[in-house]
Amino acid sequence: MGKLFDFELVFTSIPELLQKLPITLELALLAMVLGLLLGLLMAVIKQKKIRVLTQIVNFLISLIRGTPVIVQLYIAFFGIPMFFKYLNQQFGTDFAVAEIPGFVYAVVALGLNQSAFCAEIIRSALQSVDEGQIEAAHALGMSFFQTLRRVILPEAFEVALPTLGNSLISMIKSTSLAFTCAVVEITAQGKIIGGRSYRYFEVYVSLAIIYWVITIVIEQGIRLIEKKIRIPEQVELVVVRTDSGGGDKSAGVLRQAKAVAARKEGT
Amino acid sequence: MVKIEHLSKKYNDNIVLEDINLEIRKGDVVGIIGPSGTGKSTLLRCVNRLETPESGAVWLGEKKIEIARKNVKELRYLRQNTGMVFQRFHLFEKKTALENVMEGLVVVKKLKKEEAREIAQKELEKVGMAPWANHYPKHLSGGQQQRVALARALAMKPELLLLDEPTSALDPELVGEVLDVIKKVAEEGYTMLLVSHEMNFVRHVANRVIFLEKGHIVEDGTPAEVFEHPKNERTREFFRKMHMMNQPEYII
Repeated sequence: MGKLFDFELVFTSIPELLQKLPITLELALLAMVLGLLLGLLMAVIKQKKIRVLTQIVNFLISLIRGTPVIVQLYIAFFGIPMFFKYLNQQFGTDFAVAEIPGFVYAVVALGLNQSAFCAEIIRSALQSVDEGQIEAAHALGMSFFQTLRRVILPEAFEVALPTLGNSLISMIKSTSLAFTCAVVEITAQGKIIGGRSYRYFEVYVSLAIIYWVITIVIEQGIRLIEKKIRIPEQVELVVVRTDSGGGDKSAGVLRQAKAVAARKEGT
Repeated sequence: MVKIEHLSKKYNDNIVLEDINLEIRKGDVVGIIGPSGTGKSTLLRCVNRLETPESGAVWLGEKKIEIARKNVKELRYLRQNTGMVFQRFHLFEKKTALENVMEGLVVVKKLKKEEAREIAQKELEKVGMAPWANHYPKHLSGGQQQRVALARALAMKPELLLLDEPTSALDPELVGEVLDVIKKVAEEGYTMLLVSHEMNFVRHVANRVIFLEKGHIVEDGTPAEVFEHPKNERTREFFRKMHMMNQPEYII
């Protein structure tokens, strides 16, 4: 009878699991980028209340939010090839369906899943931007997209960032389901390692540690960005240069000093 | 010369402006006064099409812009050549004072950054905000924000400057500094449409005053004519009430 819990294995299997970490991260990042772009598009459509498209977006969001990720992954993995095969049969096209790696299906499915949640986050962030500033931008002659890029998004980004961070964290964890699309990321790798020794439990503990560390890193990263984009509490006054002076900062300082002196004399 | 032709605007059944015609000479400062809800702000907002009127056109010099129709190119021309100062400043929160002024120059006029910075700095100096160039709106008082907003509008060298109650959101103490700057701008020869409740200021800075009542221009003349010898009964009543308010409640 062996040990009930092989403590050592928890740590020794980590390096082997980490070999697949790039796949997990790539999957999460690509899906997140896809989700953000689609989410932004959907949010803008919803905010501008574009006819027909809004209804389609609403339907998609409802559909995506109403079904589990794992089901979506299966549907992508089996459904997309089926669709292309249908095209091949119907129109005699020659899409090499079998050559599409599972990774692509996983990115598409996770990205679409993410887009529904991002759309709602981004939409509420867009709505939080003061209408007056948008009017001010229009009054300057800026187009809708210029206003979006230069005024609305920078402000909305700050509002949305913490929630989008949460989304990214949950995305990292969703990638553990990518085995459904035959992608070997860290969780799938864990299952393989576990299968070798039947020490599944230890490997799952290692996986838990890895996911936890990734999450902590992301949290800290988000916090750092938040700090960086926040408007500083205090800003120094600009020393105004006088043209008659030496032309560098000292002239301005001198002028200020003189002004202070003059004020003192006056009193 | 700026001309406003046949401008009409209604919200549902409520007629706000009815067939407004206005010819403004270059360099004129036109003060628009009148009771609340008579469409003073709406008039300004229609001129640069922040509100869409039912009918109307704006002439900027030789160019006619139909403002009731949507025409992206004309609209851009209109907005690039009119500046607007809002009651509540509406500075871009995530940008410094300098960046606020540079924004239109860089994004709309496509100037180079250094060029835009130079112009912006000059404009900030003009409104006395140069030392605060690197401050964000949230660091600034209302009066300072409004001065930056003025600089932002002026940097675009607009043919027509629209001022929508520029001092009504300010503490009484801060009104003066903004009015001083507006006066300075007026003296520089900008053509301005000024909606304001600061009667004394309008009287001093404007060279033409318009009294708007229920969407119609009922009085139009020099400040002296309008303030001292109003022709219309409604205008007289309006000033009578104002004078009553200016008088002390009782004298010992």
